[in-house]
Amino acid sequence: MITMNKVSKHYGSFQVLADCTTQVHKGEVIVVCGPSGSGKSTLIKCVNGLEPFQSGEIIVNGVSVGDPKTNLSKLRSTVGMVFQNFELFPHMSIIDNLAIAQTKVLGRTQEQAREKGFKLLDRVGLRAQAEKYPGQLSGGQQQRVAIARALAMDPICMLFDEPTSALDPEMVNEVLDVMTELAQEGMTMMCVTHEMGFAKRVASRVIFMDQGRIVEDDSKEAFFEHARSERAQQFLAKILHH
Amino acid sequence: MHEFDWSSIPNALPFLWEGMKISLNITVSAVIFGIVWGTLLALMRLSPIKPLSWFAAGYVNLFRAIPLVMVLLWFFLIVPHLLESLFGFPRGSDMRLSSAIAGFALFEAAYYSEIIRAGIQSVPKGQMGAASALGMTYGQAMRLVVLPQAFRNMVPLLLTQGIILFQDTSLVYVSALADFFGAAYKVGDRDGRLVELLLFAGAVYFVICFTASRIVRHYQNKLKTA
Amino acid sequence: MGYNWNWGIFLQPTATGDDTYLGWMFYGFKMTIALSLSAWLIALALGAVVGVLRTVPNKWLSGLATAYVEIFRNIPLLVQLFLWYFVMPELLPEALGNAFKQTNPIMQQFVASMVCLALFTSARVAEQVRSGINSLPPGQKNAGLAMGFTLPQTYRYVMLPMAVRLIVPPLTSEFLNIFKNSAVCSTIGLLELAAQGRQLVDYTAQPYESFIAVTIAYLLINVVVMSGMRWVEEHVRVPGYLGGK
Repeated sequence: MITMNKVSKHYGSFQVLADCTTQVHKGEVIVVCGPSGSGKSTLIKCVNGLEPFQSGEIIVNGVSVGDPKTNLSKLRSTVGMVFQNFELFPHMSIIDNLAIAQTKVLGRTQEQAREKGFKLLDRVGLRAQAEKYPGQLSGGQQQRVAIARALAMDPICMLFDEPTSALDPEMVNEVLDVMTELAQEGMTMMCVTHEMGFAKRVASRVIFMDQGRIVEDDSKEAFFEHARSERAQQFLAKILHH
Repeated sequence: MHEFDWSSIPNALPFLWEGMKISLNITVSAVIFGIVWGTLLALMRLSPIKPLSWFAAGYVNLFRAIPLVMVLLWFFLIVPHLLESLFGFPRGSDMRLSSAIAGFALFEAAYYSEIIRAGIQSVPKGQMGAASALGMTYGQAMRLVVLPQAFRNMVPLLLTQGIILFQDTSLVYVSALADFFGAAYKVGDRDGRLVELLLFAGAVYFVICFTASRIVRHYQNKLKTA
Repeated sequence: MGYNWNWGIFLQPTATGDDTYLGWMFYGFKMTIALSLSAWLIALALGAVVGVLRTVPNKWLSGLATAYVEIFRNIPLLVQLFLWYFVMPELLPEALGNAFKQTNPIMQQFVASMVCLALFTSARVAEQVRSGINSLPPGQKNAGLAMGFTLPQTYRYVMLPMAVRLIVPPLTSEFLNIFKNSAVCSTIGLLELAAQGRQLVDYTAQPYESFIAVTIAYLLINVVVMSGMRWVEEHVRVPGYLGGK
């Protein structure tokens, strides 16, 4: 579903991504982890073209992301994305947040869009908040809405960019529960996260990045039990210590 | 189409330069008086003594509500009469330059005082507390601790306001005082070359103000990174 | 001081006999309002476009918008006004220039003043629009694009609605400024409020009454604009966001 082949990116002389190669198959859940500044967020933003890259190629569902002829908007409408800071649209009610792209991008009618929106709000347990505004919800609730908003577009895969790192600790689980459920239903997912418990539960594979390179790309069992690189071992020791 | 003839400009340069000196004179004097008076107004506005604070608020709001052209007209038409009758100045003495400087200074002080007030309020409250804890009086704390920090942050805004003031000095045209713009207009009118002289004046103002605002922005960026 | 106050002056017929002095003042007041409002509408529309262009990724478009803003910000308003009124008709193609010069002089003054104030103010509005857009969290743009919106759609549905709400307070002060700046147009002979005040000084021996009346009229405009904009601010407020309900 997603193929990356030798993707590289640099700002001036600073190398952000170096020869990143990997594949994500349909139904797989890939957890991307690594120290901050390792390029993991940049990597998944390249998947839907939010970050340009200078060399290599990324193919999503048969479409090349880096090709200037590609209609990026169309590609992005099929790839859901959830951000660290939720990025709900503050001037719209929750249900409008879910409906706007359905009507303006996919051309659904307002009724269809709202109906679909309500269904998804039900699913993330926020039906009662539909007419409120983002600023009136807690962080955990906002992030669940953001997931529902992405799902409303019927995406073929979902990208998560540190979805729980801006949340208060007591709200992390409500978001992870929604993501776990989604994974179990067979959604193809790429998640940048430090939540190793989540990775152990649902990941098909774990990618470990350091200094713009993919250092480990292995099954979760292999990664957690015998990570090969020293860097990954250090990282795991630190993060699992807590 | 208009046929351009720029030949009257070279000969007029000394006269235009005299005008520029008047523009700069008004700008610099009004900036200095405006900042001094504006600082006093800001301190009054923030002072716990109610009548002072009311006076400053009334002054600032009044001057910010009326057009500069109106204020200048006041000063040119009415204030000289007032001074004549109050202090017995000889009738018809040319007070246009001093009227203009006074008008600009009193008007700009209202704008400066708002910049300065915001600057003082942007200094963390703890600084005043710390100064008082060291035994300083309110006056000492303001003068030695709060104002120096406030001014450092305000310098770019004060300078930008100075550039605006320099542009506004062209409005002394209403008193027929020959500042740079007035001089350019006079030459253009005399030689029947108004189009050329007005374009020239616009270009000169642009070069000066654009350069000055670039320098201010450069300074501002340096302040930010410091 | 021996000044004779005479507020009754406003009800007396003017020297030309066709109106009262109060009538003159009212004419000037209407002129100021008509000029400022029409220039403001143009300034808002132009300023929004230029402000948006300053933030787009295309270097040519943003450079052009920057040049526009710098030109209108770094030349004094009075000089701009004279350029529009005296210079522009000479530089236009002859037929167009002559057509302008043959229209009613009041119309000429009004059009030159309106264009001048509108463009002068639009550069300032553009700066506010730009800073409003730049003050949005950067993730909002990405979020819009990630949903499949095109860049124009992202501006239209995501960034502009929020940016416009954020800049209501600074726009209020630009709106007030356009009324004050309109007084500069008295220099080309447009009989707006300040010019009528000056005429009154010339025609009557009552300068203080005249200036006080004009000042009160400007204060009145100020109060009305401020309460109007406060109303707008309250009505576009987003619940749960920055001091919202």
